[in-house]
Amino acid sequence: MSFWQGFGTRKSDLDEELATHLQMAIADRVARGESSEEARAAAELEMGNLPLAKDVTRETWGWVSMERLVQDLKYALRQMRRSPGFAATVIGTLAVGIGAAAAMFTVVDHVLLRPLPYKDAARLVSVEEEGKSAKEIWNAPWLDIAQWKAESHSFENIAFSSGLGGRTYLEGKGASLQVDGQKVSSNLFGMLGAKPALGRGFVDEQPSFGAGKNADGIVLSHAVWEAAFGADKGIIGRVVRVNDVPYTVLGVMRPGFVYPLGHGFAGQVWTVNQLGSRDQGRDYKSDHYDVIARLRRGVQPAQAMTEMAAIQKRVAAQYEDAEDRADHNNILVERYGQSLVDADVKKALLALLAAAGVLWLIASVNVTNLLLARSMARQREIAMRGALGASRGRVLQQMVVEGLVLSSCAALLGIGLALGAIRLTGAVAPIHLNLDFSTHVDFTILGVLCGLTLLSAVVSSAWPALVAVRAPIEPALKQGGQQTGAGRKHNRLRSGLVAVEVAMSLTLLVACGLLLRTIYTLRHVPLGYRTDHIVVANLSIPSYRYVNKSVVSSLYQPLLERAQHLHGVSSAGLMSEVPLGQTFNIMFTLRMNGNSIMAGMKTASPDMQKIFGMKMLAGRFFTNEDTPTSAGVVVVNPAFAAEYAPNKHDPNSLLGMTVWNLRKGVPAKIVGVLDNERQKTVAEPSQPEIELCLCQITPDSGIYQPSTIAMDLAVRTQEPTAVMIPELRDLLKQASPELANSTFTTMDQIVEDSFGSQRLAAHLLEVFGGAALMLCVGGLYGLLAYVVTQRTREMGVRIALGAQRGNLLWLVMRQAGTMLLVGVAVGLGLALASGRLVRGFLYGVQAHDGWTLAGAALLLFLSGMLAAYLPARRAARVNPIEALRAD
Amino acid sequence: MPTSMKSDRENYRNRIELLQGTLDMLILKTLQWGPQHGYGITQALRSRSADVLQVETGSLYPALHRMERQKWIAADWRQTEQNQRARIYRITAEGRRQLANDRSKWDTMVAAIASIMET
Repeated sequence: MSFWQGFGTRKSDLDEELATHLQMAIADRVARGESSEEARAAAELEMGNLPLAKDVTRETWGWVSMERLVQDLKYALRQMRRSPGFAATVIGTLAVGIGAAAAMFTVVDHVLLRPLPYKDAARLVSVEEEGKSAKEIWNAPWLDIAQWKAESHSFENIAFSSGLGGRTYLEGKGASLQVDGQKVSSNLFGMLGAKPALGRGFVDEQPSFGAGKNADGIVLSHAVWEAAFGADKGIIGRVVRVNDVPYTVLGVMRPGFVYPLGHGFAGQVWTVNQLGSRDQGRDYKSDHYDVIARLRRGVQPAQAMTEMAAIQKRVAAQYEDAEDRADHNNILVERYGQSLVDADVKKALLALLAAAGVLWLIASVNVTNLLLARSMARQREIAMRGALGASRGRVLQQMVVEGLVLSSCAALLGIGLALGAIRLTGAVAPIHLNLDFSTHVDFTILGVLCGLTLLSAVVSSAWPALVAVRAPIEPALKQGGQQTGAGRKHNRLRSGLVAVEVAMSLTLLVACGLLLRTIYTLRHVPLGYRTDHIVVANLSIPSYRYVNKSVVSSLYQPLLERAQHLHGVSSAGLMSEVPLGQTFNIMFTLRMNGNSIMAGMKTASPDMQKIFGMKMLAGRFFTNEDTPTSAGVVVVNPAFAAEYAPNKHDPNSLLGMTVWNLRKGVPAKIVGVLDNERQKTVAEPSQPEIELCLCQITPDSGIYQPSTIAMDLAVRTQEPTAVMIPELRDLLKQASPELANSTFTTMDQIVEDSFGSQRLAAHLLEVFGGAALMLCVGGLYGLLAYVVTQRTREMGVRIALGAQRGNLLWLVMRQAGTMLLVGVAVGLGLALASGRLVRGFLYGVQAHDGWTLAGAALLLFLSGMLAAYLPARRAARVNPIEALRAD
Repeated sequence: MPTSMKSDRENYRNRIELLQGTLDMLILKTLQWGPQHGYGITQALRSRSADVLQVETGSLYPALHRMERQKWIAADWRQTEQNQRARIYRITAEGRRQLANDRSKWDTMVAAIASIMET
């Protein structure tokens, strides 16, 4: 039996029971000889107040509070129907606040708060070797790891891994799938507490130079198992091919398992690392590994770091090369996962979360103001209910229930808004954030949302309710007028709240303005190249196919040839990385004239200069006359010239110098200095860079290996992007099927993406600032409109006594102006104080930029005065006769 | 008077409270003689007390329903001898224990008050 049925039955039972009682009493009296009318009257008198008796009886059931709640709910819904405009305003306002806060929290939760998907992850640490500064982090060769294992006491276990090298392709049922491939030590999964969902996984054994028990074994991630093999349960023991090498499937991991973190977007495969000839030394030829370790219980990362620092001194002493020794001299032990989120991103997200919190606060204040106004308007109703015997608690409960109903509607709408906002964020989030927005709102978020709703309801409805309930009953009933002393006090309170809103909105507007100026400045930084009409493909190169032949002559050159002849393409070129591409970063240390030189290395084909319209500061760019057999040539950038040219002011002095040997005995001379280009981000100045001619690279060049991993195809075309991309994809597919996995974009888009967190922050702050401005203006309008209605009679009297209409207009505008000025003054202080929060994201503009502060303040002030003008005009048009007659 | 209804309600509550222990005991005692409906209980109390005790509906039914919740008494709908459907209450084992308990407390109190009054 449901609750309501039960309640209903018992209620009618009680009615019947008392009716029976009455009938028995009447029957008794009739039997004693009274007339039936007399008997009934006497019996009813004897029984007393029956409804009250029923009420008190029902209270013993403990259900009355429920019944009252339902009454209140019904009443609240009726109220909403009666004034839909008010309800819509309250719900809309709160929904914006809750939605923004929930959306930002979702993002922050995904990026920063998500616990690591491993057992007892607090004891997992990464161990890295460190050079002279904290910026130089190095992976460790096997000999170092072996020594750590032997000498350290801080760890229960040490595991290591490295990428399979190049891009990894798994041959599935249909096409080949690009995956992330890792070689791991066999103890890794056990250490992480991760058991396979299918199969036995790897056998834990000591790393060895011979073939171990896990030789040729492979473990698949759940996503790969589903995508490549249709979740076939019979996969265990079957042979699959990765980069054309056969492996036997030993296991499938559970869904969601990822290692290393941040690599799981395409799906992963793991094989066991087998030590080889490259693990017998400590130099640049050795394999280097990512190291993860599990601390013993009770050992803190700092303690482990102290112990390891001592060991590392002995380890470093065994490096033969002096420079290597310095590069591996220190050690860094930190909790695994700590270093995974970019500090820049972390700061941006927390600042945005704070902004969303401010917006929520503004919304709450606004709603409090609206409810306060209504509770004032309803003072007489409340007094009447009190007079009829409702206790204060009862009235308070009813008003809080009303607030809760409004907030709940707002929360529902807020969820919708949050979901929309998350989609939007996903669309504008820079690619390198690697945010996974596919997951929908989960239980944590729902919990936070419910908390926010409750808080909003309590903040925005309980307080006005308390104010209303505390007001004495009699004056409210006696006085027909609305202008009691309490009313004036409330108006002051409400003016204060509006000023608070104005101040908080101004803070958001200033932050938004600063970021917009940052983006504007970034967009106008001279890049040194054209970005229009360029389509870029980041090639997904099947490097394993080019182990024994030249990728340049067998893939790149023919590809370039065909791309150049594609319809609509005016020129096509290949380079390691287009400017701002953020896909490739290789630094080389070279010797020139006996000096040590650090420079980035890239390679490019001759057409790159034409495509990007880059100018030469000195000399020439590559031409088609540069061939594998002609003299070796390189081009450098101005940053290189500024740092290493014999005559710092004349780039020409570099020409003809030898910086590099293409291969043994083939020197490469500097033939030109390319005009400046921004490499990583628009905000960062260029670093020294050397470019090699693509066609001169052979398998024995130092940069050969990197150039099989990263290569961008750029084409200049007048055709629309939507037409060009499928044609290019077809072309790439014909060259090699795996190239169909390449990602396409435009140069303009790459520039946009490079604005990164600034762009994300600016877009979100546009939304937050706009919403805050609207809420604030709405709040001001609401308050003044209400005050004017309240003072209609006063205005009438003033006009009757000879006040000019202009005076009345001025009266209202002055009130608005005061609120706005106070709010703006406080807001400017807040904005200056919070400047610290945004300083990190600004470029070309100061956090206390006068123009931005003044602009935002003026915008807010003018919008506010505009909102005030409408009620002020209404006040000025009051008809004195009607005003005096009314109410 | 804005508070008249409220005071009425308070009166009821006070009366129940005042009588609480005693009224419970009296009801349980009445039911010990046999199952009875609400009206029967008032009549029995009135006649046994020679019309001195008149339990009001507003006290009786809340007490009955409360005691039912406490499982001292149980109730179900039955036909009376006059062929009328009525809710008949009967005492439970727990109710008997409660009655014995109340009875001994009552005796102690009466004896104590009596000894004070007699001196």
